[in-house]
Amino acid sequence: MANSVNISIEAPIENQIQEITYDGQEIYLAPLSMSENLARLAQKIDFSKTEDDFIGPAIKKEGEGSSDTKSEDETKDAGYQSSMWPWDSVRTKLRSALTEVCVLSDVLSIAKEKRYMVLDPIPAEQIDNRPMVQVYGRKKALAAAAAVLLAGVERLKASETMRTARNMPDFHIDLLRLRQNWRLKKVSNTIVGDLSYRTAGSKFTQTGVFEVTKASEDSIAHQMSLSAGAGGGAGAAPSALRVTVPPELQGVAFITVLCQKEQEDVVTATLNSSALNCPSTLPGEGAELHWQQKLEAAQNVLFCKELFARLAAEAVQLDASIPHMVVANQIMATVLPGIQLLIGLCHNNGQNNQNNGDGVKSEAQSGAGIGKPEHDHVLEHSLHQLLRAVHHSNTHHPFPHPATGPLGPSKRRCLAGPMAADRYELLDMSKEQSLLEQIIQQAQHFFMRRRAEIVLDTIASKEVKDPLIVSHWNALNSPTQSCVKINIMSQGYDAVCRTSLVVHVGEKTLKCICRDGKVRHMSYELQELRDLIYCQIYQHQMVAVQAVARCMGWQLLASSSHLGSGPVEPLGNASSCLLASPSGDRMIAVRCEPSVGIQVFIAQSPRKDFFVSELVQDKKWEHLGGSFKEIKLERMEGKNFLNKMELLMACLSSPT
Amino acid sequence: MHRNLPQNKEALLKSYTTRLKEDVKSMLENFEEIIKLAKGDNESQLNRMTQIEQDTFEMQVRAANIVRAGESLMKLVSDIKQYLILNDFPSVNEAITQNSKLFRTKQQECDQKLMSLRDDIAADLYDLEDEYFTSIYK
Repeated sequence: MANSVNISIEAPIENQIQEITYDGQEIYLAPLSMSENLARLAQKIDFSKTEDDFIGPAIKKEGEGSSDTKSEDETKDAGYQSSMWPWDSVRTKLRSALTEVCVLSDVLSIAKEKRYMVLDPIPAEQIDNRPMVQVYGRKKALAAAAAVLLAGVERLKASETMRTARNMPDFHIDLLRLRQNWRLKKVSNTIVGDLSYRTAGSKFTQTGVFEVTKASEDSIAHQMSLSAGAGGGAGAAPSALRVTVPPELQGVAFITVLCQKEQEDVVTATLNSSALNCPSTLPGEGAELHWQQKLEAAQNVLFCKELFARLAAEAVQLDASIPHMVVANQIMATVLPGIQLLIGLCHNNGQNNQNNGDGVKSEAQSGAGIGKPEHDHVLEHSLHQLLRAVHHSNTHHPFPHPATGPLGPSKRRCLAGPMAADRYELLDMSKEQSLLEQIIQQAQHFFMRRRAEIVLDTIASKEVKDPLIVSHWNALNSPTQSCVKINIMSQGYDAVCRTSLVVHVGEKTLKCICRDGKVRHMSYELQELRDLIYCQIYQHQMVAVQAVARCMGWQLLASSSHLGSGPVEPLGNASSCLLASPSGDRMIAVRCEPSVGIQVFIAQSPRKDFFVSELVQDKKWEHLGGSFKEIKLERMEGKNFLNKMELLMACLSSPT
Repeated sequence: MHRNLPQNKEALLKSYTTRLKEDVKSMLENFEEIIKLAKGDNESQLNRMTQIEQDTFEMQVRAANIVRAGESLMKLVSDIKQYLILNDFPSVNEAITQNSKLFRTKQQECDQKLMSLRDDIAADLYDLEDEYFTSIYK
């Protein structure tokens, strides 16, 4: 244990070390006395905090007690402490507390006096039941708002489902269809369409404006139920569109053209012409038409009105020899002497139906007895066609023409320069035929054609049996010109001889081109055609006899188509021919007079009644031939004249 | 859409855009306002019950505004459709060309049929005329 180490044990220091000297001695601070310790601690106390804190009254009292003790200490230790400052804060606190207490006592005394100030009790603040009421209120408000929203949604949904579920037509689809077929535009809030022929070249002043509206759902449903009830076929297809046409274009209109014999009293003719009355009821009237049909009908009304207005204006302007008459809705024009053309406009728009309905009925009854003449479909059609042609020519100008200008010279006028047309030709070009003139020409042609037909048919079927008259009407013709080819031939001999002629039927004249190339012009008096045909028939007979004679070996001695002898014919001239048999001993003479007919004479040589006289002593003179004796043709055998002649020739040439 | 539209057409198209924006904006704003009201801790001078009533009515009005905006949008859709239908000239032109083509072919068909019919009738008429005028029964 020699190298054991000494261990020093020290008690822990109780006092704080103030300083350590160089020799290692520690100088301790003297421990604080009780009062010093208290002052140190008191310095740490924050009285303001103590006052403000929510501490129970007991603690407060403690604090008060301590402060009391401190104040005592303060007085006690005043001399002891070198500085007063550790208790300074306590002192200031106490002072301010004193002040406050003084103020309080002042206030209390004033309040107690009740002279200057009265203290009112403040009602205790209610316990708030606001949140629940507010929540209920908001809930209600939100529910109301939601209901409004739902109602709005329902409305939208209902309108949508009603359309789709019931297969209702869509307005916009219909509008699209309408737009594809008609001109539409939007003017402020309405959709307006135009059904006039303005874009097609019409210059009629009346507008064809119609309005497009959306149909109400009730009416669509009604329409759908109707069409469903009618089986879908009869009723118009339901549409979501309504088309409103101006009243002057409603209903149905048409132009009637009627040709009739001229009546003595023009006024009564106008009043009594029952043929031009409109039918009082129209098919499909009353039923709601589809917009397409409605618009087409309105367009037709407009077209008819334009046509009639134009015709009426022309009728007034034209100075014809017999003036045209325009009375109310009728135009009267004289086509040919004794024949009148009546053009009427019938417009039934359902409004004036009532007032003229009775008149129509009574007239229809009176007219039924007379038998009302048929109106002319062809002329009505061509009237429509003529106006359409006018429209077409208004928009289609021949090139070259200014790209922007609506006008342009006609093709003929374009050519007038290069062709060096003179003034008269130019004047002639400027004349344009009016519609009325054209339709009158067509009517005239129609009558000429019909009359020519009648003349040819009566001659062929009733009056002349012997040579056959075959007429062929040409299929190619124009509204004012047609052509008929007439063949005259005898049955059985059509290979031997046939006479053909062509008749051109024009508007007021006939032109006949005969086989020999002669052209004859005739007027509208059909007697001329008749006479010509008769002449041709007799001429044919003469030519045919000669042809038959040639076939039989007979010899044509002489023929003359214009015989100078005999009585003067009222129509043409008599013609004749003289034929000799092959042996030369028989002769036939045929004389044809249109007014009498055909006479045939025969003579033979040697003559049987030849007697030698003092003058003619030689026997040879008996070969001169004797006097001609007439043959009673009607008692001869044979189908027709040529057949009879053939038999006669055969008989005469046989050596008996 | 770089074509030169007329002034009023352009204005119309612009008005469609503004209507669309306005309506959508109105929907959104009204909805936001309703939500705000539902949240609502706005102090006011009014009595509480009055305040609640006012809120209720305001919400209803705003909901109605939303519905109105919705219907206005439907109307806008319909207006735009109408505008398109009425002003879509290319499609109209197409329809017109198609129609005219259709009618032209129809016309040609009819013409051809009529021509052949006329030829047949003319030939028959010739024979019949021949027969009629040469027969004894006339």
